[in-house]
Amino acid sequence: MIRLQNIEKVYRTDTIETLALNSVTLDVAKGEFLSIMGPSGCGKSTLLNIMGLLDAPSRGMIQIADKKTDNLSDKQLAQFRNKTLGFIFQSYHLINDLQVLDNVELPLLYRDTTAKERRMLATEALEKVGLSNRIKHFPTQLSGGQRQRVAIARAIVGKPDIILADEPTGNLDSAMGNEIMDILINLNRNEGTTIVMVTHDENMAHKTHRLVRLFDGSQVQ
Amino acid sequence: MFKHLFKLIWNKKKQNFLLMSEMFFSFLVLFAVFTLLVFYYQNYKKPMGFDYKDVWVVSYNNSLKTKNTDSVNAYYQTMRKNITAMPEVNDISFCSDNIPFSSNHWTEGVTYKKVETDGVNWFTVDANYKNTLNVKLLEGRWFEKSDVVSKYKPVLINSDLKEKLFGAEPGTGKILDRGDKGKDKVKVIGVIQSLKLGGDYAKPAIALYNLADTGSYHWLGKIMIKVSPTKANAAFEARLYKLLANYMKDSNVEIEHMVNKRTEVNYFTLVPMIVLLTVGGFLVINVALGLFGVLWYNINKRRGEIGLRRAVGATGSSVSNQLITESMILATLSLIIGTFFAIQFPLLNVFDMPAGIYLTAILLSIIFIYLLVFLCSLYPGKQAAAIYPAVALHEE
Repeated sequence: MIRLQNIEKVYRTDTIETLALNSVTLDVAKGEFLSIMGPSGCGKSTLLNIMGLLDAPSRGMIQIADKKTDNLSDKQLAQFRNKTLGFIFQSYHLINDLQVLDNVELPLLYRDTTAKERRMLATEALEKVGLSNRIKHFPTQLSGGQRQRVAIARAIVGKPDIILADEPTGNLDSAMGNEIMDILINLNRNEGTTIVMVTHDENMAHKTHRLVRLFDGSQVQ
Repeated sequence: MFKHLFKLIWNKKKQNFLLMSEMFFSFLVLFAVFTLLVFYYQNYKKPMGFDYKDVWVVSYNNSLKTKNTDSVNAYYQTMRKNITAMPEVNDISFCSDNIPFSSNHWTEGVTYKKVETDGVNWFTVDANYKNTLNVKLLEGRWFEKSDVVSKYKPVLINSDLKEKLFGAEPGTGKILDRGDKGKDKVKVIGVIQSLKLGGDYAKPAIALYNLADTGSYHWLGKIMIKVSPTKANAAFEARLYKLLANYMKDSNVEIEHMVNKRTEVNYFTLVPMIVLLTVGGFLVINVALGLFGVLWYNINKRRGEIGLRRAVGATGSSVSNQLITESMILATLSLIIGTFFAIQFPLLNVFDMPAGIYLTAILLSIIFIYLLVFLCSLYPGKQAAAIYPAVALHEE
């Protein structure tokens, strides 16, 4: 589903050159639940951003859903992200000025869908994460776990093949973290969604199919 | 997407209130400036209605001691002959002090079919007034010698007064009451083109012209002299002054050129307009900088949201368009409120200005505000489009 070959990412400033990823090669199979671990600053999030086409590698090849992404335009990349990828972030990234339902509808706004379809799909996604009774709430009225569930609903509303989760349980206590993890596992198991998750938590990582460890930008396991 | 943006704006109404207020007040100031500009421009486009070039104005204080009307009349007729005899003089006219480009006004009311119209400018002029100023006769006729003995006092009115009193009907032959008493009746014998008495930018006032009779010379204080453009010079002016000063020994005589009077009166109109434009210009610059700053601040505050939108499928240009559209929606809401207030001016006929001037000013102000908001949001929008999603999301 995802193929990364010799991915290298270098951050350059006028005086310093930092190697964030060093020749990372990784294959993620369709329906796999992969976790990436490593110490802070080892390049986990950079790798996830590159997989999510939010950042471009300095070198190397990316192939997602059998499509090479090297030469895609800004518009093609945006469409590809919209249809194929779903994102979950540690800090949720919900828009506080929009109600839960509107937050979940967000990816569908960039598709050719009617308001009715958007409402239906968003409600369906919120039901899957158990938040159908909170659709009129604003994010600030929700707990951390509920916010992350909204973020998951937003990630799955467009029925993407791949979900990229950047420390989805990082801001939550263990009980809420487990709840979120259960939702992700169910998604992977029942819907066959491929999930790549960056985490610091060994327990969470061991619940996934495979664990990849990074250290100083290189893959060590 | 519009519904989504409306929701976003509505839910952020407290934050947007200041920006909307700024747009609203800018609109009102621009409306005032544009109303004045459109008013002046429309007046400027209208014909002056008379020739002011080569017309000199003699001001004198009527110091003749005698009360005998015939003597007064003979005195001024002799003076008329003496002036007309000068080869540089084409025509002369004795008239009341409220000549064009002067600050003197004489207004009275007239009543037609029991409806009184106030603020009619009354002019007492002699029969030469038309030729001296080359006034255009639109209907009827100018004064004749026989008018002195007519049953009703003959008057001419200008086209603006004719329209106000009679609409599309001809004015000639109509009988008007001077004031509202119904005792002093006047008969309209003709209609002349309206004169812009207050200069190029002034609105022609409604006016009525009555013929100076022999008794009028007691108090008339102005002589307008149409001079030959090729012959009249400083030497002639000196001779004319000498002639008048010698003739009217106890009078203070002053000679002015109507061209200079026009420049002077235009200057008095233009100065406040320039001041207002300068103040308005500074205000617009302030508003532009304020808008730019607020939008820039908004974008920096919303980097996380921008990054998220990019992640879930927005292109750089759609992010930029969204921010511009949001600003335009805010402008639209402010303009709706602003237009509600501005539209009261033509509806309530404030300042007695034609509705067209207010409507044009509203339209121009709307276009200006939209253009200003668009230009001010263009660069911040472009900057937002350039935000790299990975960086913006990481910052949050």
